[in-house]
Amino acid sequence: MEEKHRLFVAVDILYICMMVLPIVFGIVLRILTAPPTEGISITGARILFTVPMPIQDLPITEAQVNSWLVMISITGLCLFLTHGLQIRKVSKRQHLAEWIVEKLDNMVRESMGEFFMVFSPFIAAIFALSAISSLSSLLGVYAPTADVNVVAGWGILVFILITYYKLKGGLLNYLKGYTEPIAVMIPLNILGEIATPVSMTFRHYGNVLSGSVIAVLIAAALQALSSLVLGWLPGFLGDIPFLQIGLPAILSLYFDVFSSCMQAYIFAMLTMLNISGGFPQELYEKRMEKKLARKKKAAESI
Amino acid sequence: MQSLDVISINLWQILISLINLLLIFFIIKKFLFKPVKKLFATRQAELDDRYASAENAEKQALVNKDAWEQKMQSAEAEAKTILQSATENAKYRGEKIVEEARTRADSILRQAEIEASLERKKAEDGIRREIVEVSGALTEKMLGREINTQDHRVLIDSFIDEIGNEDDTDR
Repeated sequence: MEEKHRLFVAVDILYICMMVLPIVFGIVLRILTAPPTEGISITGARILFTVPMPIQDLPITEAQVNSWLVMISITGLCLFLTHGLQIRKVSKRQHLAEWIVEKLDNMVRESMGEFFMVFSPFIAAIFALSAISSLSSLLGVYAPTADVNVVAGWGILVFILITYYKLKGGLLNYLKGYTEPIAVMIPLNILGEIATPVSMTFRHYGNVLSGSVIAVLIAAALQALSSLVLGWLPGFLGDIPFLQIGLPAILSLYFDVFSSCMQAYIFAMLTMLNISGGFPQELYEKRMEKKLARKKKAAESI
Repeated sequence: MQSLDVISINLWQILISLINLLLIFFIIKKFLFKPVKKLFATRQAELDDRYASAENAEKQALVNKDAWEQKMQSAEAEAKTILQSATENAKYRGEKIVEEARTRADSILRQAEIEASLERKKAEDGIRREIVEVSGALTEKMLGREINTQDHRVLIDSFIDEIGNEDDTDR
């Protein structure tokens, strides 16, 4: 019994390490790779090294590494939350796990319907990945969602899913959908179709990146203001940007915390609405009925 | 250290990100949703089981209750009959005892009466004899001669009877 308990705690600690260590690693990596000059520059993610690949070389950037670290963290969190599940004597973390699952299930059921219940882990994945990636910028790590490629991958996956569920109504019906209301609208319809993932991607990416850009700009502005107003202070006191205290923290509360959660929620919501909205339920049911009837006929003929 | 441009599209990075999302989807499905859903299912099953057993117990209890009620009713009826027969028995016995006592008392009374009357007769006879003797002796004295008691007995008796009757009428 005692040994079992000790083992349980040991596994718990392992999971917590799995959650925390990747983020710590990300911070360390950020500090180690920091460029020597402390200028104000708005750039993309730092390139750690480049892997030669066909078509286009693959630069392994901070954003890539951080997204993997976030994934490891999420895995650790999942393992930690579901460690030691019990039917009775429910622990706090089990409450949290049950709450997450129930909330997501309800959310998916309400906005997508019973047919799409398989999607609740997918929505959870989008939500967790997006929110935790964005929130990691709080720790000074380069947020993976501030890289357009990361979010573009999600957007393309969502687009594939939308198209897949639209095709469930039949290929002809899908193609016919582009000629509505009139055939002249075909280019516009195609454009509209492509606009969905693009707008989702750029909305998310732009929000996160703009947050960090504004943070940099404000920090720089405050530093300049500080040296202008308080430069007369003797010695090193004049070099300390006192005005940088306070305001960036409050702004980061909006840009990092609120905006991160908001964008994750919006992305998840749009995913659900676009997938379930594009799904032609009636056509799908008709097709299924036809298929069933054909199968029955085949069975009877045999 | 080089940096990417703010917007730089890279196909491989997009592909990696896409795969990352898929991976995290499978991870969350396997490590978060599956165990919790399983837990919900087992909890529901246990709950159903509990309900079923509770319902069974209730049913059993109801059956038991009915049986007990029936038993109680029969027991009550039995008690009633036992009580009735007991009272009847007691009544009968009491009557018997009273009757017996009465007959015995009657017999005792009758015997006493018989004895009393016998005693009386005896006393009467004794007195009568005495009276005869006394009257015989008295007459003897008065007449100066001996009277044959045997001879005069009838005479004296009738006389005494007359006196007795007079007495009776007088009273």
